[in-house]
Amino acid sequence: MRKQEGAGHMDMKEAERPMLILKDIHKFYGKNEVIKGVSLEVRKGELVTFVGPSGCGKTTLLRLIGGFTDVSSGDIILDGQRINDLPPNLRDTRICFQNYALFPHMTVAENVGYGLKINKWPKNRIEARVKELLEMVELHAFGDRMIDKLSGGQQQRVAFARALSLEPKVLLLDEPLSNLDANLRLVMREEIRNLQERLQITTIFVTHDQFEAMAISDRLVVMKDGLIEQVGSPIEVYERPANEFIAGFVGYVNFMEGRIASIDEKTRDAVIHTEYGKIEITLEQGDINNGDEVLMVIRPESVTISLDCGGKGQNVLSGTLKSYMYAGSLAKCTVKIVDRTMIIDQYNPRDAQQFKHAEKVVVEIPRSVHLLKKKS
Amino acid sequence: MAPAELSVKLQASSGSKAKDFLNANLINILAAFLFLLLAFFLLYPIIAVLLKSLRGPSGFTLEYYRAFFSKNYYFQSLYNTLLLGVINTVVCLVIGFCLAYMTTRGPWILRKPLKIISLIPLIAPPYLFALSLIILFGRNGLVTRMFDLHWQLYGFSGVVISQTLAFIPLAYMMIENTLMSLNPNLEESAYDMGASEATILRTITIPLLAPGLLKAALLIFVMTIAEFGNAAILGGRTPFLAPDTYTMITGESDFNMGSVLSVVLIAPCILVFFIHNYLLEGKKFTTIGGKPVASEPRKITPLIQAPFIIITTIAAGAIFICFGVVLVASFYKILGVTHNVVLSNYLDFTSNQAIYNSIRVSFVAAVIGAIIGVLLAYVIVRGKFFGRTFIEMVSLSGFALPGTVLGIGYLLAFSAPPLKLTGGIMILALNCVFRFLAVGVEAGISKLHQIHIEIEEASADLGASFLTTFYKIVLPIMFPAFIAGFIYTFMTAIVSLSAVVFLVSPGFDLAAVKIFDAAVYGEIGIASATTMKLVLIVMVCMLILNFISNKTRLGGSTKKSAAV
Repeated sequence: MRKQEGAGHMDMKEAERPMLILKDIHKFYGKNEVIKGVSLEVRKGELVTFVGPSGCGKTTLLRLIGGFTDVSSGDIILDGQRINDLPPNLRDTRICFQNYALFPHMTVAENVGYGLKINKWPKNRIEARVKELLEMVELHAFGDRMIDKLSGGQQQRVAFARALSLEPKVLLLDEPLSNLDANLRLVMREEIRNLQERLQITTIFVTHDQFEAMAISDRLVVMKDGLIEQVGSPIEVYERPANEFIAGFVGYVNFMEGRIASIDEKTRDAVIHTEYGKIEITLEQGDINNGDEVLMVIRPESVTISLDCGGKGQNVLSGTLKSYMYAGSLAKCTVKIVDRTMIIDQYNPRDAQQFKHAEKVVVEIPRSVHLLKKKS
Repeated sequence: MAPAELSVKLQASSGSKAKDFLNANLINILAAFLFLLLAFFLLYPIIAVLLKSLRGPSGFTLEYYRAFFSKNYYFQSLYNTLLLGVINTVVCLVIGFCLAYMTTRGPWILRKPLKIISLIPLIAPPYLFALSLIILFGRNGLVTRMFDLHWQLYGFSGVVISQTLAFIPLAYMMIENTLMSLNPNLEESAYDMGASEATILRTITIPLLAPGLLKAALLIFVMTIAEFGNAAILGGRTPFLAPDTYTMITGESDFNMGSVLSVVLIAPCILVFFIHNYLLEGKKFTTIGGKPVASEPRKITPLIQAPFIIITTIAAGAIFICFGVVLVASFYKILGVTHNVVLSNYLDFTSNQAIYNSIRVSFVAAVIGAIIGVLLAYVIVRGKFFGRTFIEMVSLSGFALPGTVLGIGYLLAFSAPPLKLTGGIMILALNCVFRFLAVGVEAGISKLHQIHIEIEEASADLGASFLTTFYKIVLPIMFPAFIAGFIYTFMTAIVSLSAVVFLVSPGFDLAAVKIFDAAVYGEIGIASATTMKLVLIVMVCMLILNFISNKTRLGGSTKKSAAV
């Protein structure tokens, strides 16, 4: 979302041409197909995150872009040039590995300046550039340190500075935050995002952490079993997941089956019949028709919960409270509705009504609920 | 059943004061006992050699050392030995590096076969290569006759070639180990920053490998200067220290001079041992989250690839040919001279008798060695007494000691009362036990490091005495290490030559000694067949060992402990 505002400053032509294009990429290891046909376009200055469970092929795809592995078929086009056959040292992409891969026999400054030296920069320019980079990552006082004398977060910054030293066209980050502890991860996430936006550097970020992915990205690429399941902004992927897997992967979700009983073509109001009662919603999707079997994607925080006072409102289901777990910023409620349980997040529980075990409660399903068409 | 047993144990352990004391100090008592064994069977023989070199008919004298350093012959012998060590080490390192680089960075399809070829010499007694060189290039050798070659095999070059081939697997294993533990992302990062393959090698791979390479170099150097068989068989008129010691003892019965030669041979070994232990201590580069991972094949430019491929091919080819030639030769009386395929070499009575003797000696050595190894490992890891590191050092030192030294040492130490052992199977077995103790101890130590002390503490907490804990908890967990120690000692002992050659008595031949004699007297068929029998035995041992380490991951843990 933020990116679209930024795009206004750019020359239209440049903004239109994707910085990186993946065209029907396949990758086999022996007979094992780990990437099964992936196509993607990444705009200049965009931060795109590959996210998915382990083994989904996200790191392999990153290594294919970096040139560490050959594609079995398909094309990789970087800034208009096909780079399939270029080895990593001739590609204008730079990678930051999960373990940082800093050279332990060199100082911080030597690490950051390694690429410049390899590319035969004159000594004074190397010095100036290294200084500039270290200032950028706030490590200017650490140039002479050896790598093992740095903390994890500092090592991460050095790796970042080293990858940026040659101003690559695309920066590849392979789970860069996974070796940091939780608090530091939040800080570094913000720093990386700020730097990336400031430098307008096209970045591909790989992570298995869906919340990290949503927080940092312009667009998410959700992968599973070597295929892209969905590409979209964090909001799109969270609010309008393409299928059950994505709905469950990007956050907790309550599913409920139903059948479309009627659709008002003008207002797009629809009625869904479920085995627990009638749910009325406003359809935002065009691909749902009357009579379709659907799955409602009900996010825990979108449901409101209150005590059952006997009255029967719209979209209200009644049930029994099975557990109420207070966790500071929210309370997790488990409600049993006939034969199923529903998880409900009640935010700011201090100011809300609190519930006791086995209390009769009602839950209200929002009208904005997202629907998945059931495949039969 | 179990609770009853427990309560009995509880009562027993809370019994008398004397028992409590015994219980608390059992590990120290065990340590003291083991140290006595080490002192008697490892330190005492070495000291005996040292003393013998300093004691003439009229007491203390430096006369023998003066003789050594004033005679040109001895100086030549020392010079040859050290030169052999240096050349051998360098060549082995280069070949080992090329092989290891190809099997860890090269194309997938080449990795497995190359690795197997690199490790094949392990199943061979080291003198197999001397034997195969005789078959090929000896006076009646196949190549010699076919091409009417006038290359003089017997001498320096012959020894260098056979030694190099024999030590390739050791170099390969050590370098492969360090290459595997080098995080491939480091080289990939350099690649990514624009470095070419040659630049990566120069700026990243080799500097990071340096400590590991140096370690490998030191070990190969020590083992190669101490190696007896190849130099004795192929040395000809070129003197080397190890075979000279043998001639001095068996030929001239000059124990004083023999001891001097041994001490001279031992000096560089001790030096290297200390460098290894103290200089390289802490000389490691650590990286975050770098678990051993297979590196993906590189797009290596042909120019860089060429030397690797040439060296790898030559080494692999030579290993292959040497094995093939000995196998073929085992079916002829003398390959190239007689033309009938015969089985008589395999049926030869003296050969089979020697194999039988070797199995007996090695079995006894393996049983004792494995037991002592496990106990020593336990004492070293869990003990808290003063001198623990000393015990560890001593028990691991046998490996670095030249076999000839321990051979003479045993001859000097145990040929007269208080403990007369010469002439029996025990002296041979014990010699093997203490020479090859290091492996059993290492296996035990690495296994013990995997067991949390909490497990033993939990057992003690439940009321078990030290003995019960050791018997019921430690021993079962250590069992794989025991088996590994057993098999390793067995297969090392059965091919070892350098020490036992001093200790065998007439009429009691060991296989290794039989091969040595047969090779020297030109009974190529018998020598080859006996070698092939040993190869077969060692191969079976290796398969068993492999099976066990796959089952218990013992192999994996030893690998980790030997990381860069």
